[in-house]
Amino acid sequence: MCANFSCRMTLALGLTLSLLASSLGAGEELPGAPIYARKCAACHGAAGEGVAGKYDDALYGERTLAELVRIIDETMPHEKAEECTGTEAVQVGQYMYQTFYTAQARARHKPPRIELTRLTIPQYENSVADLIATFLGHRPISDKRGLQATYYDDRRFAGDKKRLTRVDPQVDFHFGTKSPGENMRDGEFSIRWEGSLIVDVTGEYEIGVHSENGFQLWINEMTEPLIDGYVAAGPDPTLRSATIKLLGGRSYQLKLEYFKFKDKTASVQLRWKPPHKVWQLIPERHLTPDRSAPAYVATAPFPPDDSSLGYPRGSAVSQEWDEATTMAAVELVNKTVRHLDMLAKTNKDAADYEQQVKKNCATLPEPAFRRPFNDVHRPAFLDGPFADQNDTVAAVKRSILLALKSPFFLYPHLPQDTGRDAYDTAAHIALATWDSLPDAALLQAAAQGQLTSREQVRTHARRLASDPRAEAKLRSFFAHWLQLDQTEHVAKDNQTFTGFDESLISDLRTSLELFLDTIIRSETADYRELLLAKEVFANDRLAEFYGLEVPADGRFHRIPFGAEERAGVITHPYMLASLSYTHTTSPIHRGVFAARKLLNRPLNPPPMAIEFTDVGFDPHLTMREMVAELTKAEACQGCHRIINPLGFSLENFDATGRFRTIEKEQPVNAVSDYELADGETVHLTGARDLAEFAANSKAAQLGFIEQLFHHTVKQPAAAYGESTLEDLHRAFVDSQYNIRELLVEIVVTTAQVPAD
Amino acid sequence: MTFQNRRTLLKNLGLSAAAAPFVLGLPSFASAAVDEDRRERKQRLIIMFSPNGTIPKNFWPDQAGRDFQLKEILSPLEPFKNQTLILKGISNKVRGDGDSHMRGMSCLLTGIELFPGNIQGGSHTPAGWAKGISIDQEIANFLQSREATRTRFGTLHLGVVVPDRADPWTRMSYGGPNQPIAPIDDPYQVFNKLYGNIGERAAVRSILDEVAADLARVRQHVSSEDRRLLEQHEAFVHKMQQDLVAQQEQKAAQGVPKLAPGIKNDNDNMPTLSKMQIDLLVSSLLNDMNRVATLQFSRSVGQSRMTWLGIDETYHTLSHQSDDNEDSQEKMTKINKWFCEQLAYLAGQLAATPEPGGSGSMLDNTTIVWTNELGKGNNHTLDNIPFVMVGGGLGFDMGRSLQLGNVAHNRLLLALAHAFGHELETFGNPQLCSGGVLTGLA
Repeated sequence: MCANFSCRMTLALGLTLSLLASSLGAGEELPGAPIYARKCAACHGAAGEGVAGKYDDALYGERTLAELVRIIDETMPHEKAEECTGTEAVQVGQYMYQTFYTAQARARHKPPRIELTRLTIPQYENSVADLIATFLGHRPISDKRGLQATYYDDRRFAGDKKRLTRVDPQVDFHFGTKSPGENMRDGEFSIRWEGSLIVDVTGEYEIGVHSENGFQLWINEMTEPLIDGYVAAGPDPTLRSATIKLLGGRSYQLKLEYFKFKDKTASVQLRWKPPHKVWQLIPERHLTPDRSAPAYVATAPFPPDDSSLGYPRGSAVSQEWDEATTMAAVELVNKTVRHLDMLAKTNKDAADYEQQVKKNCATLPEPAFRRPFNDVHRPAFLDGPFADQNDTVAAVKRSILLALKSPFFLYPHLPQDTGRDAYDTAAHIALATWDSLPDAALLQAAAQGQLTSREQVRTHARRLASDPRAEAKLRSFFAHWLQLDQTEHVAKDNQTFTGFDESLISDLRTSLELFLDTIIRSETADYRELLLAKEVFANDRLAEFYGLEVPADGRFHRIPFGAEERAGVITHPYMLASLSYTHTTSPIHRGVFAARKLLNRPLNPPPMAIEFTDVGFDPHLTMREMVAELTKAEACQGCHRIINPLGFSLENFDATGRFRTIEKEQPVNAVSDYELADGETVHLTGARDLAEFAANSKAAQLGFIEQLFHHTVKQPAAAYGESTLEDLHRAFVDSQYNIRELLVEIVVTTAQVPAD
Repeated sequence: MTFQNRRTLLKNLGLSAAAAPFVLGLPSFASAAVDEDRRERKQRLIIMFSPNGTIPKNFWPDQAGRDFQLKEILSPLEPFKNQTLILKGISNKVRGDGDSHMRGMSCLLTGIELFPGNIQGGSHTPAGWAKGISIDQEIANFLQSREATRTRFGTLHLGVVVPDRADPWTRMSYGGPNQPIAPIDDPYQVFNKLYGNIGERAAVRSILDEVAADLARVRQHVSSEDRRLLEQHEAFVHKMQQDLVAQQEQKAAQGVPKLAPGIKNDNDNMPTLSKMQIDLLVSSLLNDMNRVATLQFSRSVGQSRMTWLGIDETYHTLSHQSDDNEDSQEKMTKINKWFCEQLAYLAGQLAATPEPGGSGSMLDNTTIVWTNELGKGNNHTLDNIPFVMVGGGLGFDMGRSLQLGNVAHNRLLLALAHAFGHELETFGNPQLCSGGVLTGLA
């Protein structure tokens, strides 16, 4: 994002809108309609769309009604301004405003519709993962953390040399020349760690073992090690690593076999580099001694989903996308064939092997259709391929390929020949809540006719919403809302901010994610807590930089943080730092973020670019003074009247998010007056006031609801009726602003079952 | 005996090419006869893009004409100087919605305005995708429409570390209005596309009829607006069917590059990835899989961090520094020179490869056009957009530096099409084509 937020002029209202609005009635033709048709339509078109050669541009815009009326009164019709004045001008203005001038008016006349969409990338990835999980089983993990460890007095994990079993919180051992414990020799021992890796966010993970000894590491795919470090790399410890793609909201079986044999010293660390983070020990909270079922992860790259409406959705197809669906299908076919016996629970040596495969694999593609095979599917998937061919494996290949390329898999809302039914409702609940296929319970409910009322839908949506896959979806919503998915460079000038290095930035991101996870997982999941919390997650590195105190155990602890001056996400140092320049704060970036994302205050696009630079300013000026000076022109003030006060209210935090009261030897002034859309003014004395205002503003809450709606349903909210957002807001208030409940209500509202 | 002579021979004998194998009893002659139809010179076009404007004083030669000196940024082109054509004075005059980076990028090859949209840049009004087809696609469609110039892919779109986002800053090729085409920046994916496993493709081929039939059937159940999406999808399925047939008929590939395994697609590997992509591009052209290609480095507003040049700042941020900031001018010069080195590597690879079934080198039959979305980064001007051509594909009179006066770039896009015999009257916004095709190039 550039730093240029200049703006267009919005004139103060010369007339009061209430006066103008008083004569507007629903249903009846507006008195301005015939006047517009007579005096304006010839040049501007019947619905303001413009007339080629006369006045090309459409009469669409964001001026106030009063201003529109003033322009008509003073300048229209062109060169005959006296022909439409006074009451007539007001009536024409009203007609235009009500019918086509504003985006809302146009939306009313052509309401957004529910578009046919294909699976988005996360929906595709999760759907194929759960397709395979239908056969491999889904084993939820418990609250236990750490890894199951078994220690042996032998380098080959011999059962009779087992000396110790326990749960190790993480793998971080420096044995030196000694053995790990009693009854084990210094020169030869082995340890096996087993359990699963818990992954929050989808992406490429680098995983590595730092050791001078021998080891093998398996993740998810247990037949072949991800890293084979059997041959020691000594004498000094080195990091041997590999990259693996993992889906968020899932866990992956992990096994590390480590041994010492004649090496001088021994040490072992299990590390990773998650997306957006630096290399670090895999922390206890991401490890569990429970063993997950194998998971399938598609690695074929897809072109990014269309985000032109501000959220990713499956509204477009392209050749690259079509090719990607083929590559992904081929990838799955190959993997299926390689692991066919595991999937089908068949035995290659059995006399009736072909029959077994046929019996157990014929229904493999079934879950892709989110409904049981019916008369349309049967010939294509069951009777056809398996009847014709002697080669059963080829038939399995063909039917999986056909299923994954089928429009009924790729377009989850495609109508069936027989019309909409309960399976469509099940498919919607699953897709909206966890971006994937319906589970067995949902399919069963559909089969038994138990998805016909809102309450039934709600029960299932609530059940799904507490699954880690739904948490992952909420997590990606927060990443989008807080622009974490766009944050590329948080780094600061290291002369000015010593110690604000890559590790610290990585920890800050973890701190923010832990905070968001706490909200997502808490009973209350309170939106206001998100904005008003007075605590922060910090480890010793963060504590030192921000002047806090935590136990020096390397873990993150939730501790009080600036109760007077800080509040929730907006003052989290990661947010403040990412909304800053490398040397200084950026009240403009912060103000724009607060306006657009927190307060739901639309900003008009700036008509001209002004690059912010402190060159040329008196070096003694504070940031606030420079921004005020730079944006003082009336053309800028239309938006900066909104942006600047919001940004200034955060000036107590420097470019790394540290609290400050002094800038350039002057006291920081974080007091400002923020003007609302209706002209009222809110006095802000700092960040806390801003957060309190955001938490309690209905407009802000509606904005939050709409953004979550888009992320969940991937359709415009208005397509489900004009009052959709208002209805959801009522439910949100009733639930004490519970975000998880809001997700559930969004799913219920869009499930197209009759109201209770 | 060259193909040319053989054709003359057949003509003199009064025989058609189809009868030739029987006459001469040469089993390999059937495929040679197909080649003979394409014997007219293979012409190729590569459009290479690098972002954020240039440093004019270190880019444009001071002199016009044949006698000119290459400045620092263009110095890597010294070995190809007599095959180089430098065009100063070409301006992107497309106005309307979108900031300069957006229009610079999405109007660069389309020459037409952007749709209104809600992608908001740092200035100007928000915008959506371009309103029309891009010249690379236009030329490729033209070549694909004729038997003699048809190839398996027609075009290829390669990228080097292109951020994973679909927006008007990141796309320059368009199949039509609102149809941006994503470059592939993963060399392994490109490799699979070019040389992927034949066995898998046979399996895919066997199911496509059913997929197309399903799509056709379900079309009836959806609204007319939604039907368009399914029809588009169906067209891609048919395209894949044709592609698979074409691939099956293709002769054994030559010059298949061996890719080093496990190169991560990230900023720091940009030099390695660039070389991999260029090698793949040259091999696709060598095997005549396409005649048109684009090679996109990063994207407009690209924030590459060229640590291998000793530069720690991000590129777009640097490009905003003022002209009197010597440090950033020097770094920007280094960065642009690095891009020029990539151009020189590509030209060098083509020059070192003899034209298959023809004369001279592949560079003699390929023109590379190197361009940018801006003239200059710190003032975001769309005037004097860098356009440098290398190679003989378009039959232009090379070895010159031209100084034109503020010519709309639509006229240059027209010249690219005309060089292929595709004599369009206008391209993109017709009003920007006034004056017609840019002359004086050939």
